[in-house]
Amino acid sequence: MSDASQETDNPGYGLMGLTAAAVLAALGAIFIYVPTERTEGVVQRIMYFHVPSAWIAFFAFFIVFLCSILYLWKKEREWDIYAHASAEIGIVFCSLVLITGPLWAKPIWGVWWVWDARLTSTLVLWLIYVAYLMLRAQSEPGSTRAKYAAVIGIVGFLDIPLIHFSVLWWRTFHPDPKFITTQGIGTGNETSMNITLMVALAAFTLLYFLLMSLRVRLERMKDEIDRIRKERLYSH
Amino acid sequence: MNQYLSQVKAIIWKDFVTELKTRELFSSMFVFAVLVMLIFIFSINLSIVSASQVGPGVLWVAILFAGTLGLNRSFALEKENGCLQGLMLAPVDRSAIFFGKMLSNLAFLLIMEAFLLPVFMIFFNVDIGSHLAPLLAVIFMGTLGFSALGTLLSSLSSNLKTREIMLPILLYPLMVPIAIGSVQLTGQILDGKSLTDMMNWVGLILCFDIIFISASIMTIDHILEE
Repeated sequence: MSDASQETDNPGYGLMGLTAAAVLAALGAIFIYVPTERTEGVVQRIMYFHVPSAWIAFFAFFIVFLCSILYLWKKEREWDIYAHASAEIGIVFCSLVLITGPLWAKPIWGVWWVWDARLTSTLVLWLIYVAYLMLRAQSEPGSTRAKYAAVIGIVGFLDIPLIHFSVLWWRTFHPDPKFITTQGIGTGNETSMNITLMVALAAFTLLYFLLMSLRVRLERMKDEIDRIRKERLYSH
Repeated sequence: MNQYLSQVKAIIWKDFVTELKTRELFSSMFVFAVLVMLIFIFSINLSIVSASQVGPGVLWVAILFAGTLGLNRSFALEKENGCLQGLMLAPVDRSAIFFGKMLSNLAFLLIMEAFLLPVFMIFFNVDIGSHLAPLLAVIFMGTLGFSALGTLLSSLSSNLKTREIMLPILLYPLMVPIAIGSVQLTGQILDGKSLTDMMNWVGLILCFDIIFISASIMTIDHILEE
């Protein structure tokens, strides 16, 4: 047992330290460095959490899609673990988007929620991956569960562009993308705002990889415990 | 190719024979759809909202709910008495099983909708006769997408313990494009507009149909395995 725990007990201090530094830098930039926005006031600072969370959620669901394809192709447990871990992290950040969004919208738009295109598609996305995790929770561990989850991971991601266009044509109120505009990257905002947003994006991305490595390690330990338990069972 | 088609035909034929014997699927789907419409009519004040505005939404909700009932039944029936095992032991391609089940689900839904449309016309006082052709085209496209994705997901959820709950939870968020597109198109058609004005929606629904039929063919081998 001790061999196994030593083998997997490698928390990756380098990544952890880097993430901690980036998160501290992002917090400093958001709360100290960047000036308060003129029209929206202090509440605008929520953008530096809202936008990176949305980015991580989409990125995480894209990783689920890739790992699902790789799983169906290679049938290796590794890809199933990656897809599972990424879906869980994606749900956490997607929930953060859905929580910070209304907090920002209430003082600015005057309402918690409008049925705008991007709000609606984020909510639908959240529901798809909650269903994905429910499917995982309700089936027995094993290759069948991995295959079913992979099918949902693929089908769910293929649906995203269709959902996007359908709710876009349905209605839209959201502010036009400020950061990436038709004139190029980062021309819509002040320079200090862009720098802060970049730092926050980097910090969130590092946080994603840190959480990924921790979650994958946890899942591998679970497998290891299962294996040892089975060994004990059959050795007697 | 001919052999493949006859395999698909055999599966559809089997489903129709079973349905003619048991007569439980069609009647329950139709009665359920009418009930859904009725509940919506009670919850909407039709003297305030015009029927042609809410009508398409109610029609599609009824179709989707009743369709889910049918999909749940479709593979649950195969699971009973190990019929699915028999199907998979037969020397046919997995995609032939998928196409057979999808087309029989599609046929049942279309028959149900043929009975539902007159009820819809009477309940909501809408004139369907003058634009029947585009309306039927829209209903066919929407139902095709629904039965493609629905057959894939019901073949998957039929192996779960909580299959009746998991199918709608998995299916409805993925059905959002079809739900929005079909309701929009149906509403516009009932307003007397022609389909050529709304080619973006038609394209979206056709894309949905094509994407999910091909995704199903590629993944069905992994679902129908043991």
